[in-house]
Amino acid sequence: MALTNDMIQLLSAGVAHQVGACTNDGRPVVCRGLAAQHEAGRLLVIVSSESGFEVLDAIRQNGRIAVNITLPENYRSLSFIGDDAVVRGSGAAWRPLVTERHNAFSEQLRRFGIPPEYTNAWYSADDEHLVAIRFTPLQARNQTPGPGAGNPVDLIPIEFEK
Amino acid sequence: MSAVFDDGLSLFGVRRMMEGVIPPVLCTASADRVPNVSYLSLCEYVDPLHIALSYQFFNRSRENVLATRRAALTLDDPYTGGGVVMQLEYLRTETEGPVFERLRAKLMGVASHVGMDKVFHLRGADIYCVTEMRRVPGRKELPAAAPRVDLATNSRLLSERMANSEDMADLLDTLLGGLDDLLRIDHAMLWLSDASQQVLTLLASRGYDFEGAGAEISVGEGLVGTAVREGVPIRVGHMMNMATYMRAVRERAGESGLNVAPAPEIPLPGLKEPRSQLAVPLRARGRVLGALLVESQHDQYFGYDDEDALMLLCGQFAVAMSLMQPQDQDAPAPVTGRPAPVGQGPALRLRRLGRDNSVFLDDIYLIRGVAGAILWKLVAEFLRSGRREFTNRELRLAPELRLPDVQDNLEVRLLLLQRRLAEQNAAIQLEKAGRGRMRLNVSRDIVIEREAG
Repeated sequence: MALTNDMIQLLSAGVAHQVGACTNDGRPVVCRGLAAQHEAGRLLVIVSSESGFEVLDAIRQNGRIAVNITLPENYRSLSFIGDDAVVRGSGAAWRPLVTERHNAFSEQLRRFGIPPEYTNAWYSADDEHLVAIRFTPLQARNQTPGPGAGNPVDLIPIEFEK
Repeated sequence: MSAVFDDGLSLFGVRRMMEGVIPPVLCTASADRVPNVSYLSLCEYVDPLHIALSYQFFNRSRENVLATRRAALTLDDPYTGGGVVMQLEYLRTETEGPVFERLRAKLMGVASHVGMDKVFHLRGADIYCVTEMRRVPGRKELPAAAPRVDLATNSRLLSERMANSEDMADLLDTLLGGLDDLLRIDHAMLWLSDASQQVLTLLASRGYDFEGAGAEISVGEGLVGTAVREGVPIRVGHMMNMATYMRAVRERAGESGLNVAPAPEIPLPGLKEPRSQLAVPLRARGRVLGALLVESQHDQYFGYDDEDALMLLCGQFAVAMSLMQPQDQDAPAPVTGRPAPVGQGPALRLRRLGRDNSVFLDDIYLIRGVAGAILWKLVAEFLRSGRREFTNRELRLAPELRLPDVQDNLEVRLLLLQRRLAEQNAAIQLEKAGRGRMRLNVSRDIVIEREAG
């Protein structure tokens, strides 16, 4: 399954990212994500290995992942669920993507009177701590707050090269 | 169960992260370990080991929690950018009691402020035990903001000033003035409840283009109306953010059309786009007598310490107000005979609707309720006998005024009437004329009309 164009556009609109996982013994864990990008039917998510160590450990155990993206200006919120997540690749190569998403997110929060200095605290991971997670979205859920939050929304069945 | 917290961390110490400036994030998982991440409306401190989360809708998060009883929660510090992550164990859902009422008041207060109180309904307060709490590592945090003022010392100074107030007008001016010059709270309104009419009347305000004395809202309406109805303080530190969140929920709820209140007859003062508000009830003798509303153009302007300080000061104000009995003057007021024509311009038409004692001056609404009835009585007596001076005692004993609780109400209703007339620059003015006595000043001839209603 792949993301719709609308979902792909949302990824670069200045969203907040939250990454959830669950260990094999049933411990839910969550951390803030730094960037997400659609890559030929798969989703790439960048987290900090410092703040996200629990999430990375859980993903290494079972590959299950939920990535939530939320646009502050209207709280439009989507989650992408997968069970084949892998942790692979880290370092400065992800800095341009993180910077781009950081800037877009800061601009969103600036509208609410939250200065960039504040969001900088969330994006202060050093290059060596940037870690990539990739997975195939099996399901998307509408997480906009309210009744029915967590209900599925359609993804596009497409063929892509692995 | 023992809890594991990072050194120096306590739930009490992270209360400010629960204010919703940055909404809390909840991660749950199904029984087969599929994770789910969502944002929450409200998180509330309960005690050193427990928190409460709002339960408004049955959704996937709740389904997961009921299945596994486990959750992870992240909170972000609205001042420094730091954060904590917790492990939670679900214990129970409360549908009554102080924690539930506190959460419901906060939810309703904010929802009502943005006109969405019909959409929001708190089903329960989910009580969780916090089994682990640690700081989010790797963040370069900002220094915490310095305190605005020395809140404890300056609140004490204000309390001492209030204790020296000799009458209601002095007490009111002392409180509003002290908020400004001692606590740096530039915008404040003091509302009085009238239990018989289920309305709140604005007694005075400070820091706005106009005072708005006599303006009314319903009990339960907005932050201040909810604070009065529930008898608890309600604070919102980032109103733009919360309003956006509420609108998102409303759209999801599929509701159409807001509960639009009728336009007020007296315009309400207030900041056009407040960033922070705090409503504090005036409680005394087991009753809620009204509320103080303070607001700011800055985000996160009022914290827990402000809430604590204003609760104490408002408690003192409410007790003083309820004890401040009108001073009696037993000597009869002088009678001067029928009034001589004033003769400046056309006669002022004073009209009264019997239903709620609404009084109009030249078809412009002035005031209603007890204050309206008092004005009507004073003017009628003036036109009958020419008498301009009146005693509090005769008002207290006047059966037609039907004062619901004289000791609580007469002094403040007279003050309200006096300020409303002054703000309108009306041809009728009321002023103190010594101990327990007031004087009516009339600058135009008056014709009175009464309508049934």
